[in-house]
Formats: sequence, structure tokens, C-alpha cells
Amino acid sequence: MAATFDKSTLAWSLTFEGDGVWPTAVALLDEGKKVAAADRTGAIYLWDISGDPPVTDGKAASKDRDAAATGADRSPYRRLDGHTNAVTRLLALPDGRTLVSAGLDRTIRLWDTQATATGSDHAILDVERRKREAKKSGKKDAPIAPGIKVETLGPAATLEEHREWINALAMSRDGKRIISGDDAANVIVWDVAAKKPIAKWTGRTGGWITSAALDAEGKLAFVGEFCSSRGDFDRPPPDLRLFDVAAAAAGGSVPEGTTASAPVKFDILALETPQVKRRDNSYEYFSAWSKFVARGIVAADFSPQGDLLALAQGGETGTGKIHLIDTTTGKLSKTIGGHQYGATDVVFSSDGEHIISSGRDTTVRIVAVKDGKEAAALGKPRGGQFKDWTTAIALSRDQRTLAAADMAGLVQVWKFG
Amino acid sequence: MQGFCSPREHMSRRLLLKGLTFAGVGAAAGPVMNWGNLVDAPAFAAQAKKKSKQCILLWMNGGASQFETFDMKVGRPTGGPNREIKTNLPGYHVCELLPKMAQQMDKVTVIRSMHTSEIDHPGGIHLMHTGYSKSATVRFPEIGAIVAKYNGSEDANLPQFIKISSNGDSGSGFLGPRYAPFSMGHDGNLPTFAARSIDVKVDDRRQELRDFLEENYAKRHAAETSRQHREANAAALRLQQARDVFKVDDEWKKNKELYGDSLFGKQCMLARRLIESGVPFVEVGQSGYDTHADNFTGHKGLLPPMDHAWAGLLTDLQQRGLLDNTLVIWMGEIGRTPSINNRDGRDHYVKAWTTVLAGAGVKRGLIYGETDADGIDVKSNPVTEGDYFATIYSALGINYADENYAGVRPIPLAPFKSKVVKEILA
Repeated sequence: MAATFDKSTLAWSLTFEGDGVWPTAVALLDEGKKVAAADRTGAIYLWDISGDPPVTDGKAASKDRDAAATGADRSPYRRLDGHTNAVTRLLALPDGRTLVSAGLDRTIRLWDTQATATGSDHAILDVERRKREAKKSGKKDAPIAPGIKVETLGPAATLEEHREWINALAMSRDGKRIISGDDAANVIVWDVAAKKPIAKWTGRTGGWITSAALDAEGKLAFVGEFCSSRGDFDRPPPDLRLFDVAAAAAGGSVPEGTTASAPVKFDILALETPQVKRRDNSYEYFSAWSKFVARGIVAADFSPQGDLLALAQGGETGTGKIHLIDTTTGKLSKTIGGHQYGATDVVFSSDGEHIISSGRDTTVRIVAVKDGKEAAALGKPRGGQFKDWTTAIALSRDQRTLAAADMAGLVQVWKFG
Repeated sequence: MQGFCSPREHMSRRLLLKGLTFAGVGAAAGPVMNWGNLVDAPAFAAQAKKKSKQCILLWMNGGASQFETFDMKVGRPTGGPNREIKTNLPGYHVCELLPKMAQQMDKVTVIRSMHTSEIDHPGGIHLMHTGYSKSATVRFPEIGAIVAKYNGSEDANLPQFIKISSNGDSGSGFLGPRYAPFSMGHDGNLPTFAARSIDVKVDDRRQELRDFLEENYAKRHAAETSRQHREANAAALRLQQARDVFKVDDEWKKNKELYGDSLFGKQCMLARRLIESGVPFVEVGQSGYDTHADNFTGHKGLLPPMDHAWAGLLTDLQQRGLLDNTLVIWMGEIGRTPSINNRDGRDHYVKAWTTVLAGAGVKRGLIYGETDADGIDVKSNPVTEGDYFATIYSALGINYADENYAGVRPIPLAPFKSKVVKEILA
């Protein structure tokens, strides 16, 4: 039975601090018994958080973090090596052991987290604490040894079709298909078992794929495109479209050297801005789309029933809101919630009754889809004038565990119900 | 000033009034905006080539990051997610966002050791346009005004200091309106006031009436502002003769690939046309580099069109034989911090940052100066703003120690005690 969100406990505050880097992606494996988090260097660490957190196991939280960050700390037991640049998205397949990651090294990697380790290494994940202690004792440099000992493991498979940064990665609920998108506007829908594309297409010239999502069975895809300004008065327009993957994938895998392009089912932005006749980079269009898109839709998720699509407004903006799109019409159903300075991630609860989002305000917000009321807000804004971002969230399928990675170097895990 | 066309082409009253705004400040003697008598533009260009060097300033407004361009620190905590690519200079790498310029590095001097003194935008923009910090008592002229004065010509029908979508609010400073910038909008079109807004015949009649009144007024009033008023009118009229230089649409179709299909690319092509037509100084601006937030996506949006346009400009100048006589400066007002803040951004930094020079008077394929492993401090060959301007003026054939007067106070072109970086000069 699914847990409710009105009662939450911060169970774990896992330290994940690098030197100039921070966690960028997170996933929960095995019904929340393990958590995986990745950082800007491309390293992915695994923590075992099964059982109740030991009360005395926690190290003192960094003093610049909020007092609520008092969950127990624990060292990771394993590191997954392979990515050579920031990991942008992590997914846990329903089998409870396979991770899928995408990154700025232009690759997608699959990891069997339960495979036998192939090596071991020392890692330092408390850089800020070491720096503080070195400063206190008058030392110039923080000690780089001893670190913690971790097992190491390489990827089970590497998918190398993309030629640009991959910022969008999502999967169908059944885990059989994933969708990925890169900064050259290339979109690929993959058959996970075969590790082959079943559809691929290219968006607007110069566009970046900033978000993508698949519905429960991977038949309908959402793709969000955005590109930063090329200068004053030179702003490429975004695109938000729903694609009929079922039509493109009817023939199975894409034969070598060919492209099966998915037809557009709905052009959400065109439906939202019917008053604009020319969809180019005119300022008339900019003023119309910027209200809906802000500085890019950076995350998206279909409801389990497939009737709604949640879109999160990101980039640094006033308030990053969450739009709910009716997938039968492609039109806006309602706009709910929001994060000061912009949202970073969004997921539906497993029962489809709540939207869970994270943002640049160091909070995770849980909002009821039905009435838009906030059921819970986890974490508190921190970080100074501009807040440390919560960069990514993951919810276990039983809705009892939620993990959130943040820019200050914490992976926090809440338990519900 | 004599020698108008017959029948004279006259400007509208609106043009006259707008033209006067150029002359609204300062009290320097001489004709307004140094537009001289009408001459044939190509002939002038040929003459200008022989006489003096020209300059294009590519102004990266807000301060482009050295870490995402020419002084990368890949793998260091300050490095960021961008990766290096090889250039046509063995052993030197630049950011992957600059693939076109990577193949032009044999044409440029990269200065990785800029060490300047103004960390905020207003002060930095002033500093890197004039060589001086702002002063309450002296209005320093921008480099464009200096180049217009020393390398420009009064026998020109085009303004000698043109800004296309760019910044800097000092203008001609104490040099007066004669060397004031002619500012164009982002679309590269002439300002609307530069076109006749009424029927030509009607405008001609009005102009004749205006001339009649003006002559009578001038006999009775010998005031400086009155003279500047007339000269502004005359200068704007001469601009009518050069309007075709600004009509770029046909040539843009041919050159879109060379410069890249971007607004900045089109502006750079216009800059080349103006240089070819004899304008000694053109500034082209690209805004958006003040990336306190989302530095990496910001640069990823800005740099590729800039890279394409800049590389296209150098290629075009070289192919037309203009690069040897034209100094192309790439800079903003500041650099960006080594540390990455909690907005995924980089803040202002002036202890160690980068500018690039190419063309007239400077060496080709030179990487000058060096920063430490994390880009925090200059490790060798620091270049201050004074040294930088002294070097630029020297490259342009201008004596950087030459003095102009702000009232009775002599002001050298580059600040007192500035030194030319001789290693950079060709």
C-alpha cells in the first residue's frame, strides 16, 4: 500500500562533496534500499541505506547547512566508473539492480549494480569538512588521505549514438524503453533489452533537448527544446512537442543507417501561443513563449495513467512553475506549485495523485494534482542570497522513500508514512 | 565646409535635430563628427589603407569567461564541463565551443595574463574602452574616438567611429563631438533619422529655406554651438551619400555561410564593409556574457555564433587583403571567477583573464602570458590595462604617449607609466 506524504522523516544525510563539484543526479534502487548519486566529474556512488539509519552513525553536518540536515551519514560502498564528464540523469530500472545514466561525455551507460566489483579505490567525499578542519589547524592544504575505501565497477554497456551533451533521459514505467536527447537536438528512443534505437529524430536547428519523457508503455514521448540566447535580439525559439513513438516504432529497431522519425502528435507551444503567427526568433514570439517556458523546460514526467504530463520551468527564473498538460488535447490543464529561482526536476507519485518537484530553492515540494494544494515541503532554502539547488530527486515505486541531491554536497533521503 | 551635391540632398528637420544630438556635449573646435567633403569611397579606402591602420573591436559585453574560451583548466576544480580541442597551433588548445577559431589561432595573439583594476561592469566598460578608470573631473575618450582622431580622415563621407549594437558610454570624452561615435542598432540598419522622412522635393525646399535662415543667423551669431549645429547637418547630409555601405542584405546572402547565420555574424560582415569603405574604427558588440547564473549554458549559447562570425571576419579580411592593416580586438570588460558559484555561474574577475588580438601590428600565433593551474593568478607576463592600451595604440601606429588636453590638463593616450608589450608587436 502506498505511503502518504503528510508524515515524513529525514532518515539519511549522505555527504557527497567534491572539490568544486556537487551531486547532479540521483536514483533509488531496490525499493529504496540503495541510493545512487552522481556528480559533475562523472563518478556514480552507491550507498546501502537498507534498515533503520543508525542514530549514532551520523557525522556532524556541515555548519553551513540547515539544522534539519541531521539524517544519519554513511559512506558509499561502491563507485561506478566510466563517465568522463558530468552525469546529468540517473534512472533505476524496475528490476531493482540496473542503473541507466547519461552525461556530458555524450554517452549513455547501463550498469549492473549487483555485478561483482572489478577493483577498489580510495575516495574523498567530505572535501569541505577537510578544508574546514585544515583551516582550523592552520594547515594550507586539506589532507587528501586517508579516504574511504570503495569497490569499483565499470559499465555493463555504453551507448554512443549521441555526439553532444545529453541533458535529457527518461524511461517508460515498465523500463523497456528509454528516451534521450542531446544539445544537437537529436532525440533517440531506445529498446533497453536490445540496446538499439527504435526511433530517432532531430529537432530544431540549433536547439538543445533539455527535457524528455515517455508514457507508461513508451508509446508517447514528450520532448522539450530550448537554447540559450545567442546575443541580444538573437534568441532561438523553444519547442515543446508530443511525439507518437508507437507509429515510428512499429517496425521494431531502426535499421542501420536509417532514421524512423516519430510524428508530432501535439505542438504544445503552438497551442499555447495561437496568437503568434510567425514562430521565429522575433521578439513578439519571445514575449509569448517566455511566459510559458521561462528559461527552458528542464524536466518532465507522464502520470502513471498517461493522462497528464508535468513540465517543470527551469533555468534561473523568478518562480519555476509546474505545468500540467492534458495529453489527450496537448493543452494546459493547470499550473501548480513552484520553486523560487526555478525548478530542476519533477516526478509524479506512483499513484498519480501528487507531483513532486525540486528546485533552486533547496526544497522538495509535494503537491496534490487534484486541488494544487501543497501536501509537504521538504528541506529549507539555504545557501545565501541565491540558494543551493536541489539538483535532482527520485521516488521509490512504493512511495515510501524519496532521495534528493543538492548542490551543497548532500544526498538526503526521506521516509514517508 | 563646401562641395555639396547639386541638387542638394537635404535632410529632414528630424534628421537635423537628431544630428545635433551628436554635438550635444563637449566644446572642441573643428567640424562635428569629422566627416569631410564628399569623396569617392573606394578611392578613400585605397588612400586610407596606405595612410593609417584601422581597427575592429569585438566587444563581449558582460565579460566572457576565460575558462570557457582560451585559458581552460580541464580537470581542475575550476575547470567546468567544457573540454578542449586542438588548434592549428601545435600544443595549444581552446574550448570545444570555438571550433572555427581553433583553426585561426595562427592568425592571433592570445593574452592570457590580463590583470586589470575595475571589477564591475560600469567601471570595467569604461576602463576597457578608454584605458582609464572613471574620473569625476575628466571625461576620457574611448579608443574608437582616439583612432578616429589619429587614423581617421576629414575627407570622408562616413562616420569615423561606428558602434554596432555595442556598449561604452564615454564616447569622445574631452576630444569633443568631432570624434563622437555613430551608434547603430542591433539590426545593423542606419538609424531611422538618417533617412528622409518626407518627399524629396518638399525636403529640398525646406532645406533651402533652412540654409537661407542659417546663413543669416550665422552672420549675426558666431557661437560655437551654432557652428556645430550647421556641421552636424552637413555631416548627416554626407552620410546620405554613403548609405549603400549599410545595405548588406544582398551580400549577406552570399556570406551567411562564412560568418554563420546569426545576428552577430551579420554585424561582423557589416563591420568589414565599413572597414573596406575606410572607416578607421568599428565596434561590434555581443551581449549576455555576465553569466553569474548558468555560466556554461550561457556560454554554450553565445560562443558558437560568435566563434563562427569572428573566424569568418578574419578570413574575409585576409582574403580581401585588409587584415594586415586592420587590428581586430576581442575583449570584454572583465573576466570570470575561477570558482563556480551556487547558481552554476561564474562571477566577475580581473586578476587573471584573457583578451585576443589579430591583424595589424601584432604577432600571429602567439600565446602570451600564463596563469596558474587553477587560473587564479597570473603566473607570467602580467598585462595591465595601461600596458594593453599602449600596446594596441602602438600596433595601430599611434604614439601612446601623445597628449591631448582636457581643459588645461594634458592627458596621454595610455595612462602615465604604461609600457608597450613589445613581445606582442609584429
